[in-house]
Amino acid sequence: MDSKFLFFVARRAVNAVITVILMIALIFIIMHLVAPTPEDLARLYVGPKFPPAELKLIAQRLGLTQPVYVQFVTYVTGFFRGNLGTDTIYGIPEILVIEEYFPVTLNMVLLGTLFGVLLGLFTGAIAASNRNTPTDYGVKALYLGTWAAPPFLVGVVLQLFLGYGLHLLPTSNVANPVLNIPPPVTGFPLIDSILAQDWTYLYSWTRHLILPAITIGLISFGSITRLTRATMVDALDKDYVKLAYMKGLGQRTVVWGTAFRNAIIPIVTLLALTFAATVGGAVIVEYVFEYHGIGFFAVQAAYALDYPAILAITVIVGFSVIIANFIADVLYGIMDPRVRLT
Amino acid sequence: MLLDVKGLRVSYRTVYGNLEAIKKVDLSIEKGESVAVVGESGCGKSTFGHAIVRLLPPNAKYEGKVNLDGKDVLALKGHELRAYRGNDVFMIFQDPLNSLNPVKRVDVQMLEAVEMRERVAGRGYDETKAYKDIVEGLTGVRMPDPEVILRRYPHELSGGQIQRVVIAMALVMKPKLLIADEPTSALDVTIQAQVMKLIRDLKKEYGMSVLFITHDMAVAYTVADKFLVMYAGELSELGPVDKVVSTPLHPYTVALVNSIPNKSRRDGDLVSIPGSPPNMISPPSGCRFNPRCPKVMDICRTVSPEARQKDERMVRCHLYD
Amino acid sequence: MGDGDTNRLTRFRLFKGRQRSPSVAVPDQAETPLGETSGIRFIVGFVRRDKIALSGALGVAIFIMFSVIQGFLELLGGYLRNPSLSYLLLPSDPFTFHFGLELAPPSLANFPVGLLGYDETGRSILSRILYAAPRDALASILIVVSAIVIGMALGISAGYIGGWADEILMRITDAFLAFPLILLAIAMSLILGNGYLVVLITLMAIWWPTYARFFRAQALSLKSRGYVEASRLSGLSSARIILRHIFPNSIDPIVAIATLDFGNVILTYSTLAFLGIGVTVGVPEWGSMAAQGLSYAPRVWWYALFPAIAIMAVVVCFSLLGDRIQDMVGGRISY
Repeated sequence: MDSKFLFFVARRAVNAVITVILMIALIFIIMHLVAPTPEDLARLYVGPKFPPAELKLIAQRLGLTQPVYVQFVTYVTGFFRGNLGTDTIYGIPEILVIEEYFPVTLNMVLLGTLFGVLLGLFTGAIAASNRNTPTDYGVKALYLGTWAAPPFLVGVVLQLFLGYGLHLLPTSNVANPVLNIPPPVTGFPLIDSILAQDWTYLYSWTRHLILPAITIGLISFGSITRLTRATMVDALDKDYVKLAYMKGLGQRTVVWGTAFRNAIIPIVTLLALTFAATVGGAVIVEYVFEYHGIGFFAVQAAYALDYPAILAITVIVGFSVIIANFIADVLYGIMDPRVRLT
Repeated sequence: MLLDVKGLRVSYRTVYGNLEAIKKVDLSIEKGESVAVVGESGCGKSTFGHAIVRLLPPNAKYEGKVNLDGKDVLALKGHELRAYRGNDVFMIFQDPLNSLNPVKRVDVQMLEAVEMRERVAGRGYDETKAYKDIVEGLTGVRMPDPEVILRRYPHELSGGQIQRVVIAMALVMKPKLLIADEPTSALDVTIQAQVMKLIRDLKKEYGMSVLFITHDMAVAYTVADKFLVMYAGELSELGPVDKVVSTPLHPYTVALVNSIPNKSRRDGDLVSIPGSPPNMISPPSGCRFNPRCPKVMDICRTVSPEARQKDERMVRCHLYD
Repeated sequence: MGDGDTNRLTRFRLFKGRQRSPSVAVPDQAETPLGETSGIRFIVGFVRRDKIALSGALGVAIFIMFSVIQGFLELLGGYLRNPSLSYLLLPSDPFTFHFGLELAPPSLANFPVGLLGYDETGRSILSRILYAAPRDALASILIVVSAIVIGMALGISAGYIGGWADEILMRITDAFLAFPLILLAIAMSLILGNGYLVVLITLMAIWWPTYARFFRAQALSLKSRGYVEASRLSGLSSARIILRHIFPNSIDPIVAIATLDFGNVILTYSTLAFLGIGVTVGVPEWGSMAAQGLSYAPRVWWYALFPAIAIMAVVVCFSLLGDRIQDMVGGRISY
């Protein structure tokens, strides 16, 4: 069993690497399609402010006059070495910018997604085990409402009511800007502030986190609820659930121990998609809450016509989604004994 | 009398309206007796079985009386219901692919059953003793190499093996009434015969009462003492198997019996009943079988017939008023 | 599901009842009380009986019909250089400034022009919301349909051919699936220029992976079914098999998925508009109106709120309908 499982994991890992290379290839192809000449490419890399004569030199310097396949190999190896180009605004390697902003976003998004997933699983299971009763309809109204609302509306409504209206929580920034940021060991504010034992910062960060994270959770939990309800209704109808009842197991044991345990297997695959959606949705949430993470930075970069930054962020977010996908695949294998055999 | 069902009625509220899945069904089963519920798909026979073990969806509404060995089944709640299931009654289901929890090993699932049995009986649970019990159960269903089977996951077993595991679980639980809901219809014919023989043997060996639910009269004939024929949620006819098959009273039973393929009619077409079962939301008025009945009379279209005793049989048809 | 598998599994059928295939064993009460159990006619018949689905369907129908007519008028108005044509159906010209009514609250005066209030230059918010509808409708239809077409082509070939083709196509699908939609749309509009068309093309290029996965799964599961194998052995060409078996069996679930997805497209599209992506300056767009209105919130709540509610209402209608269809084709609704 164990060697089979290792083989399964190895296969998925190889798949993930291939997918990453393909994704980079896609970005590469897109760039070459929209910028067919070396000069156009050079403009993409360094921004619009250089005259054509200079662009030619820059193209030469960046190796953009080389054959396409050489460029591709350089591009891919560059990515795996952490070379994502140089920022046209700050003039520093993109990787440094990303290192600074991405963990902040990831920290917020992961907690928000966790909240959304837990909420979705819980409400979906409740709806399914009370299907076609007022509880079920209530859950449906709740998730349809938040899911159908445009993400910015959810954010703004929370901001207005809990922030400006009731003055409960701060509505912008990652933490109180007066405070010093703890030394960035991992880049994750949560871990860094604990390592530095900076409880004031941790407290401020947590308070600033709540609204954006709740927004992320609220806009993403609907699809989880929907799928959980569906798989759970299926599972509750399965003969093994009825058999579990027949053994004399209690309702709670059967619903959560048997039906839920089986119902969440297909949901694991949705987790990666949810993460993809929320990490993309972070752009809008961070914009609304002026949360200085990668999404906020991306919008600023867009307004500043900073192409390399946008492309680097796209690639790195795509990369993180592929990693999430890989983790979900492995989780799936752990949870479903049937998968490991194939 | 072990099981006594009187005037059972089951209805659902659905988006289309009220659905009366079972209407006025009476049945009694003695100790050691076996009864087969037969009828087309959608006639409510499976709902009937699920109602006796109280396994219908949350929006189902029960009326009438179900009494099993002195317990008022429809009034059972929480703990009593749990003790009732498993100890008094056990049910095995149709689809072998879904009968066992796919994420747990067979031994874990069987041990769970033993643990529940011991807990209800107020005894301590001893895993080694329980393990012996389940191995014994598997031997009882003629399963070769029970220890090997126990270490497997359900997807590593065949349909016939899974059905045996489930029946072994029934043996371990030793219920007073075993309900089998189409236990063989998804199996190959040869396996089907083996499983049927097993159920027959067990009935003899353990003196269990069996409620057998099937659409297949030929299969039911081999295990049952009595037939309960259902149509559109209503009892059509109830009586000893031989009588029902040799001299069916209800026109629907006549049609069912005629549709059994047999050797003497091997080259003829399979006889089928014209028409299809009614829409259960708005069933035909009067007798629900009247649109398909060859002997339909005027009264059948307006008045729903009452069940009547006829010799040792019950029948619901205006022909016997 | 087709009749083939039912026949294969029950050796002989004693009774001619409506039997489902035993592999989806359901207790009797799960039988649907309607005559048909699949196909567009079944879906329509079902929706007609279900109040929730019906209200969703009505909302969707109104949105689509209005958008088609309004969109046609807008195109015609542009083509004939006669802008008044495009306001024919609207309460007022969405570009006319009403002096003195800047940021005026919703009122019944001058009904229905002022029903939802006025923006910072005194333009009727109601008219502007209605004027923007066709572009959302067009985006959702184009993107979903193109996703179905691309996804079907890639997914069915991957599932049906199998082997290396499958591996490669699925890795490509994964790679597309990994792209963050909003970021890619930002990047594209940055590089290619900011416009409606760029957003449309970007979303069309990237929306298909979930559909490809669906069609692949469908093709895989049907490929091994007895009757598909039988038709292959009897010499039916692959194209015929796909057309006759795989395609019809995918219609029901795809209708459900697509209906839900229309809402998704509108959400994504208006989120982009909120950020100013794909918006032509001056042309009203639900997302961008909400964004502009936010700078006056919360005092001028109507400016940002009503466009957001327009988005929400349309998405809710699509989800109500899609949810019900999904429940129904999944066989979950019947009791």
